[in-house]
Amino acid sequence: MSKNLSHLSGRKGLTDNLFERIGELAAKTGSPSKEDLTKLAEEFLIRPASLYGTASFYDFTRPENKGKKVYVCNGSSCLVAGTQDELKKSIGTHIDTTEIGEMCCLGRCHENGAFHYEGHNYSGKSAAQLAGIIEREIQDGTDTYTVEAMGAEILTTPFPAWEEVTAQLRNLLQTPRETILDSIRQSGLRGRGGAGFPIGIKMQTCLEAAGDLKFVVCNADEGDPGSFSDRYILEQRPEWLLIGMLIAGYTIGAQAGVVYVRAEYPASIQTIRKTIAILEAKNLAGQHILGSDFHFQFKLIEAKGAYVCGEETALLASIEGQRPEVRVRPPFPATEGLFGKPTLVNNVETLANLYYILTHGGDAFAKLGRGRSTGTKLVSLDSSFRRPGVYEVDMGTPLQDVVEKLGQGFSRPTKALHIGGPLGGLVPVHKIADLTLDFESFAQQGFLLGHASVVGVPEDYPMVAYLEHLFEFTAHESCGKCFPCRLGSVRGQELLHKAQHEDYTIDPELFHDLLTTMEKGSLCALGGGIPLPMRNALAYFQDELRAYFKENQPVSTPKKV
Amino acid sequence: MNKIAYINNKAFEIKEGETILTFIRRHLGQNYVPTLCDAPNLEPFGSCRMCSVEVARPGNGALKTVASCHTPIEENLQIYPDSESVQHLRKNIMELILTDHPLDCLTCEANGDCELQDVAAQVGIRKVRYPEGRNHLDRPMDESHSYMRTDLSKCINCSKCVRACDEVQGEFVLSMAGRGFDSHIIKGLDTSFADSYCVSCGACAQACPTAAITDIYQSAAKHATDHTRTVCTYCGVGCNLEVASHGDSILSITAPYDAEVNQGHTCLKGRYAFRFYNHPDRLRAPMIRKNGKLEEVSWDEVYDFIAEKLNTIKSNYGPDAIAGISSARCTNEENYLMQKFIRAVVGTNNIDGCARVCHSPTALGMQRTFGTGAATNSIDDLKDTDCIMLIGANPTAAHPVTGAKIKQQIMKGKTLIVIDPRRTDLAKMAQHHLQLKPGTNVAVMNLMLYYILVEGLEDKKFIESRLDGYEEFRQQILNLDIARLERECGVDRNLVRDAARAYATAPRAMSFHGLGVTEHYQGTYGVMLIADLAMVTGNIGRRGVGVNPLRGQNNVQGAADMGVQPHQGPGYFDMHNEGYRHMYEEVYGVPMPERPGLKIPEMFEAARQGKLKALWIMGEDVVQTEPNTHAVREALKSLDLFILQELFLSDTANYADVILPASSFFEKSGTFTNGERRVQRVNRVVDPLPGTKPDGQIVVDIMNRMGYPQPEYDAAEMLKEIAQIVPFFKGITWERLGENGLQWPVAEDGTDTQILHTESFKIGKGRLYFVDYEESTETRENGAAFPYILTTNRELEHYNSGSMTRRTNDALIRGEDFLYMNPEDAAEKGIRDGEKVKLSSPRGSVSIRVKVSEVVKPGVLSSTFHFPEVMLNEITSSVHDTQAKCPEYKVVAVDVAREN
Repeated sequence: MSKNLSHLSGRKGLTDNLFERIGELAAKTGSPSKEDLTKLAEEFLIRPASLYGTASFYDFTRPENKGKKVYVCNGSSCLVAGTQDELKKSIGTHIDTTEIGEMCCLGRCHENGAFHYEGHNYSGKSAAQLAGIIEREIQDGTDTYTVEAMGAEILTTPFPAWEEVTAQLRNLLQTPRETILDSIRQSGLRGRGGAGFPIGIKMQTCLEAAGDLKFVVCNADEGDPGSFSDRYILEQRPEWLLIGMLIAGYTIGAQAGVVYVRAEYPASIQTIRKTIAILEAKNLAGQHILGSDFHFQFKLIEAKGAYVCGEETALLASIEGQRPEVRVRPPFPATEGLFGKPTLVNNVETLANLYYILTHGGDAFAKLGRGRSTGTKLVSLDSSFRRPGVYEVDMGTPLQDVVEKLGQGFSRPTKALHIGGPLGGLVPVHKIADLTLDFESFAQQGFLLGHASVVGVPEDYPMVAYLEHLFEFTAHESCGKCFPCRLGSVRGQELLHKAQHEDYTIDPELFHDLLTTMEKGSLCALGGGIPLPMRNALAYFQDELRAYFKENQPVSTPKKV
Repeated sequence: MNKIAYINNKAFEIKEGETILTFIRRHLGQNYVPTLCDAPNLEPFGSCRMCSVEVARPGNGALKTVASCHTPIEENLQIYPDSESVQHLRKNIMELILTDHPLDCLTCEANGDCELQDVAAQVGIRKVRYPEGRNHLDRPMDESHSYMRTDLSKCINCSKCVRACDEVQGEFVLSMAGRGFDSHIIKGLDTSFADSYCVSCGACAQACPTAAITDIYQSAAKHATDHTRTVCTYCGVGCNLEVASHGDSILSITAPYDAEVNQGHTCLKGRYAFRFYNHPDRLRAPMIRKNGKLEEVSWDEVYDFIAEKLNTIKSNYGPDAIAGISSARCTNEENYLMQKFIRAVVGTNNIDGCARVCHSPTALGMQRTFGTGAATNSIDDLKDTDCIMLIGANPTAAHPVTGAKIKQQIMKGKTLIVIDPRRTDLAKMAQHHLQLKPGTNVAVMNLMLYYILVEGLEDKKFIESRLDGYEEFRQQILNLDIARLERECGVDRNLVRDAARAYATAPRAMSFHGLGVTEHYQGTYGVMLIADLAMVTGNIGRRGVGVNPLRGQNNVQGAADMGVQPHQGPGYFDMHNEGYRHMYEEVYGVPMPERPGLKIPEMFEAARQGKLKALWIMGEDVVQTEPNTHAVREALKSLDLFILQELFLSDTANYADVILPASSFFEKSGTFTNGERRVQRVNRVVDPLPGTKPDGQIVVDIMNRMGYPQPEYDAAEMLKEIAQIVPFFKGITWERLGENGLQWPVAEDGTDTQILHTESFKIGKGRLYFVDYEESTETRENGAAFPYILTTNRELEHYNSGSMTRRTNDALIRGEDFLYMNPEDAAEKGIRDGEKVKLSSPRGSVSIRVKVSEVVKPGVLSSTFHFPEVMLNEITSSVHDTQAKCPEYKVVAVDVAREN
């Protein structure tokens, strides 16, 4: 992260956005030409090396992306469902294999077999329609999945009539900022992206931060393989999100709201674009909102394929057109964020709750849930369940109920649930009964609620292969900045690979040291988080893993936090 | 009660805002906590994690591992910087690093001078337990560049080089590319160093903890027996250099991190362009012209020859037939001695220096307005200013470290106003670039003053309490013919108005100016108007404001302070004042001359007229650097005795009767005064090259030979005499100057001064001067026949006449002078990029290669005079600043044509 590049990019800011410009240059052939980068650099008073550094980072702008036509999902759910090898083979009969790339993940975890072709995602039954899709006869890849609530309906409830919303927002604009902030603080709402940080504290810091220019940034880079609940909001309840951003913007005194949506969700990009246009038409975005002195512009930024952009400082660097490397904190984004200005960064689901809090009061929200985990949580269940889908449950709901009542049990023999994305815990099925769906319960049991996505690991899927997949994922997505993650993820993958395919057993002390080094030493939650599922597996699947370690001794104990 | 935190349960005082790493280092030493990605001049980055420590907050006893380099200290924090867990972590990180690093320390060029090696030893790594895996050990080396080298197989991805290129130099040549394990350092668009746009500052090589990025000299440094701190001579910034040497060989140069001037940074001239010092071309014996040929003679012979000749001329024609030109490249002590020799031994005021051709208008203009001809503030003030106004200066090329510092401020969002006919690198970054017609600074300044006063943006309180003559001045400004000024300077009046507003409304605005202000027909007036602008807006006497000339040579300020000008002696006392003369006489023990002395152009004129018979030049190649070469040659030819003290046989040497081989700055001690009045110690690194003597010693020898008893050249002793005479040197002693020098005025107790004029001006109240714009006689008289305006500039790689830099690898990077020409002009004349053209003026013509570039506007051309092959000064004019007699290098009426 370069402060200089932040400010230079900030000279043109969101109106002529550097990251978008790089993306546009890549659109022609898959990666920008050096000549184009040189010209662009001059325009931004930056030098071409920095722009090449950025372009070479992202899956969809780096030189290796040139000429790719189809992208096959390689996320955890599609992987363990075993749909992708066959899919690749089938695609290979229509398209040169060198033109097939990978994406992670398309959020089609409920039916798998996911792939991306010419701006559309396909999954499930689409594999059977490949010829038509490749020939562009079929361009509708719309999927359907169950959406249901098992308690309060905040996020899954239909969006009300615009008149009602407008009236509420009119009230909002006459309410002192501090009053709104009080209500949000009372709600106890915590970040839904995984970290669970109270949004009220961030908002207060932003509000109090010096400077006239402030931003709200929505992290819609739902990269965790297995999760698709943000995608649900982005595509089916986009109004909750944008209105939530408007409320946040008003509360902290921001002038612009950026929705950073991952490229792997083309339909989400479309719905957000359309919804912003609707808000603009209704004077709920732009200058003098509802005739007030409050101005708030929305800006949609289309990401270019990098899981690490889900980390807030990397995300901000990304919008600035810098390499999305994780930045040290402090300073926190709330005081020095986008283009060096105070910035509120929150996840989709978090922001989508704000309208409810505004209209029902913070108390009403705080009454829902359990303890310090207030409100509801969206849970996404993948194809390992009989009834996959997105479910809204009150915080504190027994996991058993989610599995049995909502998911209606497993669709195949399952030995573990990987909850909360690749960095989440691996919950052996026998521990399901011990967990309730809230931050504290998961932490106490040595797991992580994270974003509450659930991927079932099938009985017959080797745990060692699954762990190798997790290391491989980390190695692929590591920004490369901090040493433990950059080097550790590769060495971890190599150890597990060698143990499976060569006459080699892993020194358990070395493996333990590797996990501890990544856990304690990494700069962000990517390198720091990956040891959790590893340790869970070592604790709960010892028998299966023993053979890969020297003297059959995988060392680990269940981690309690 | 001071706030504390604990290290291993022991209490230590904390400082607000410091990191845990700084806190530990402050109390337990620099190397207590190992680091790989940390550097004193870079922001905390947090990539290596080697500095991890365990901490526990009071109350909640849980231990947590944090990277100490970017975690702020907290009151009562418990820190365990070497707990078992931390030691384990560091060792394990090092083990991971070594899985992708060649294990060939013993044959590595960095062996013994490698941070990675040191840290590996510190954390006690014994073996790498991981099986061989993917690695980057097969990356090729890059030896394409004249100075820079890469061997990225040794890279540990700490990004220090990238950050140095960004946070220190601001050039962004280096970047990380790719992602994760594949991330790697690139140069430019993933090219070689030579093909990149690297400016060879070497900040990356100095930052690299391994031998991944080095330079051609770095690895030799480990054989050094001595490390000497000294001061660079390549410009007025005054960078401190740490020179590694072995015997009489200079091995390599780095920039000390604790240098207040340059904080671990310097440019390619300071860091790499040192190989001139023992170049075969160096003069190694005195020479006397015998039968038209220079012949080597002994020092005794040459001294006798000079003494006898000078005595003869003095008795035949009087002392005023003799003149000396001292050098701003030499030390204060040497300059002091030269003027003392001319005044006390010869008995004339005919002493001048090369400041005449650069910043004499600054000294005069600022003396008239403020009473003191020196920078009002310090470079460090850049941190606290809100607006920087840069007039007629291109510091990224001519003052690279200051240029880089300005760039850093601008990139981080401060306002920059550039007033320059050239679209310089900084002009591209500026919010306001007033690309005026060369020679019209006065018109633009007046327009700015007009808008400031019309819009009521002046600082009424400051004007009321600190200035004289405001009402009259205001009326004169308001009566200006704005339309005429706009027409003359060629800049839209609205652009000027916007810039004026930005300057006047900034809470703190700082101006910098260079030779683009001074080397003009109205040079002194331009300086005075800059002073006017600062005064009416109250930008004087506080931190982050002021008028700050960017001095071209390392000791321009010092040479003037030491009395190297005809009208004022050391400390700027008027030689025409009997009382002051008496003061000098007290110390020198001889009568002081009263008659006015000659300025350099007047010396040449007097020589041509046969009035001046003898001239002694200390270190200046006047043939290549003075304007209107033909006239200079004529003058030198007319002399009876021309003594030249030099490092090399320059073009000027062709006219010399006597050559005195001098020692370079590496070979002597003394002091230089940089552009912010900082007097710094120059320390001898190697002995004088056999056959040469330090300039000061030569002057001393001649003084003695001519009967004036002057002790051997010794900087510390000389400073004692200077401190007696020069009031602002009163508290300066060799010892007190220490590593970082002192900024004058220095009080008797050693207190120095960062900011001048805080309470009042030396002359009481500041004086506002009104001057209207007047076109240079050069374009008025010659503009019709020679319709283009040539302005001169500098290139980063070379210094002035290039006598030193051309004898280093800098010449491989840039090997000739170029003429910059706007594409429109080139098209009109049918001139292609890279083609040679005939550039002519009323004085003559030169042949020069064209670079088609938008750095200049149509109608304006620009070039350097670094190379004798072009001899650009053959065509520059004899027009001078009407006040200070500084030549107008910046406006030359020329025409250009294709060469056949």
